[in-house]
Amino acid sequence: MIHFFCALPCEAKPLINHFKLKVDQTSDLFKIYITDDKRITLTICGIGKLNAASAAAYHCAHINPAKSDIWLNIGIAGHQDAELGHAYLANKITDSITQDTWYPQFIFKSPCKSLSLITLESPSNDYQASLFDMEASGFYSVASRIGTNELIHCFKVISDNATNDFKHLNAKQVARYIEQQIDTIESIINILQPYSNELIQISTPPDPFNKLVNQIHFTATEKIQLERLLIQWKVRLPEIKPDNVINLDMKAKAVLKTLANQLEASPLNFPMMRK
Amino acid sequence: MIGTIYIEEEISSHPRTLEILKRYQGATLIEINAYGEVFNRKSQNFRLQKHQPSLILAKKHKGYVLPTPKQYSLGAEYNYYFSHMLNCLYDCRYCFLQGMFQSAHYVLFVNYEDFISELKQTIAQHHKEPVHIFSGYDCDSLALDPLTNFTNSFLPFFEDEPNALLELRTKSTQARTLLKRKALSNCVVAFSFTPDKISQVLEHKVPSIKKRLNTMIELQKAGWQIGLRFDPLIYCDDYKELYKALFHDLFNKLDSSLIHSASLGSFRLPKPYFRKLEKLYPDDVLLTSPVEEEDKQIGYPANIRDNMLNFAADQITNYIPEQKFFPCHEMI
Repeated sequence: MIHFFCALPCEAKPLINHFKLKVDQTSDLFKIYITDDKRITLTICGIGKLNAASAAAYHCAHINPAKSDIWLNIGIAGHQDAELGHAYLANKITDSITQDTWYPQFIFKSPCKSLSLITLESPSNDYQASLFDMEASGFYSVASRIGTNELIHCFKVISDNATNDFKHLNAKQVARYIEQQIDTIESIINILQPYSNELIQISTPPDPFNKLVNQIHFTATEKIQLERLLIQWKVRLPEIKPDNVINLDMKAKAVLKTLANQLEASPLNFPMMRK
Repeated sequence: MIGTIYIEEEISSHPRTLEILKRYQGATLIEINAYGEVFNRKSQNFRLQKHQPSLILAKKHKGYVLPTPKQYSLGAEYNYYFSHMLNCLYDCRYCFLQGMFQSAHYVLFVNYEDFISELKQTIAQHHKEPVHIFSGYDCDSLALDPLTNFTNSFLPFFEDEPNALLELRTKSTQARTLLKRKALSNCVVAFSFTPDKISQVLEHKVPSIKKRLNTMIELQKAGWQIGLRFDPLIYCDDYKELYKALFHDLFNKLDSSLIHSASLGSFRLPKPYFRKLEKLYPDDVLLTSPVEEEDKQIGYPANIRDNMLNFAADQITNYIPEQKFFPCHEMI
C-alpha cells in the first residue's frame, strides 16, 4: 500500500483527484481518503508536527499498514533560495526544538534532488539552506516506528523563499505547486514499488500455509515451523505441491513430520539455484 | 556507485575525507554527528540497502585493535584484528555482517593514524614475540582499496614491524596497489573460497574463482604470500566432488610450495544472526540446509560438520604440509 500524508486540504486535492481517492467514511478523527482497490490512502493531518505524528499513529491503528508499505509526506516548504515550484526529497530531518534527527534512506536514484529539512514550530521567514516545514519530524518519528526507513520519504515543493515569503501564499497556488509535481510523485512511487514488493514477497507465507492454519490447529511454535518447512519446500521441491503429501485430515504434528521427512529425503544441490 | 555520503562533522575536514570526496563529486553529502545515528537505526532494512549502500565517513574513538576469538589463529600466540571499515562490497548469504549490523552502508573510519598508533602499541607490548594481525573481519580488506587507500596507508607501517604478520582477508581481485609495491615478507593476502557452483548462488557480486585465481597467481609471482581460506565450508549432497575439484584447481594452479597457510571452518552463525538472516532471505537455498543449535550458534549438525571438516582437512593436507594448515572453525 501507499500512504500519503498532507497537512492541508489544498496540498491533498491534486493527489485526491489524480489517484481517484474517495473519503473513508469509517475514519472520524482525521480525514482519510482511500482508493477503491485499497492500494492508496491519503490522510489530511492538519498543520504542525503534533498533528502529523497523531495522524500517522491514528492512520496506523485505522489502516493497519505493513512493513512493506510506502509512506510519503507531501507538502510545501520554504527555502533560502530554491526556486518556487521545485521539488525536493528530504535527506535529513531535524526537529528544531528537540534537535532529534531522522535520515530517510536513499537506495535509489531520485528523480529530484534531496536537501536537509528542518521542522519548525511556527512559520518563519528567516530562511536557511535547508527546507523549512512544520510536519516532517512528527510524521517521520511515527512512520519510522511502523514502516521501513527506505520506503518512508518526505517530498516537499518550494512555496516560499527569501524573495517570496509565505505571507503571499494562497490555497490555489499551493494546489498548483503540488499538481505540477504529480509526475515526480508518480516516479518516486514507481521507484519504491519494487522494493516494497520485495518485502511483500519475503513476508508472505507460501501456499498452502493459510489453508492449513485455518483448518488444522497449529500452536504458535508449530505455525513458525510450518512456515519454515513450506518455504524450504518451495526452494527444494518446487515441482511438487505439498498438498500431494499432506491433507486436511492430518493433525498438525503429522503435517510437520511429513513435510520434514520429505525434505530430508530430497536432494540438496546448488546448481538448482542461480543468482 | 555511491550516491550518498554521510560525513561526521568531526572528520569533515580530515585529509582522507577530502581526498575521498574528490572522487565522488556528484554524490549527495549529508552531515551527521555520529555514524551510529544513521548506521544503528532499527527501522532500516539491510536487504533493501544492499541494492545501493551509501558511504559513511566516520571517526573511530576506541577499540581500534581487538583480540581475535581464541580459535582464530595461524599458529601465533598473540592474535588481533582491526577493522578500518564496517560492511562489504559483496553480498555473501552466509556472512555474519548481515546479522550483526542494522545497516548495509559502508562505514569507513578515516582516522587511520589512530589505528596505526594502537597497532604500534599492541605489537610493542609483546616484546619481539610474533603477533598476528588480521584485517578483513568486518569488511573485505581489498575490495574498496581504490576508495579507501587502505593498503598504501597501512603497509608502510607493517614494513617496519617485522614481528607482526598482517593478514589481508579478501574475495577481491583489487590487487593493483599491492602489485605496484615490493612484496612484504610479513603480509599474507588470504583469499576465501567456496566451490564455483556454490559461489554462484551464495556469493553475490564476488568475482569468479577464475578471476580471483589469476589475481593470486599474479600476486604469488610478485612475491606476495598467499593464504587460502575455506570458511565457511558449505554443505550440499555433492560437497565432496565440489570441494575436491576446488582444492585441485587452486593448489595445482598456484605454487603450492609457496602457499603461506590454509584454514577452514564450517558454516555457523550466532543464533540471533541466523534468525535475522531467515527474516531477510527466508527463501535462500542456504537456509534449506539441515542446521541445529549448539552453544548459542546455529550450524550444521555435528555429523555433517565433522565429516565435512575431516574430508576437507584430508584433502588440503594432500597439497600442503600440516604445519601450514589451520582448522579454526570456532572463530565467530
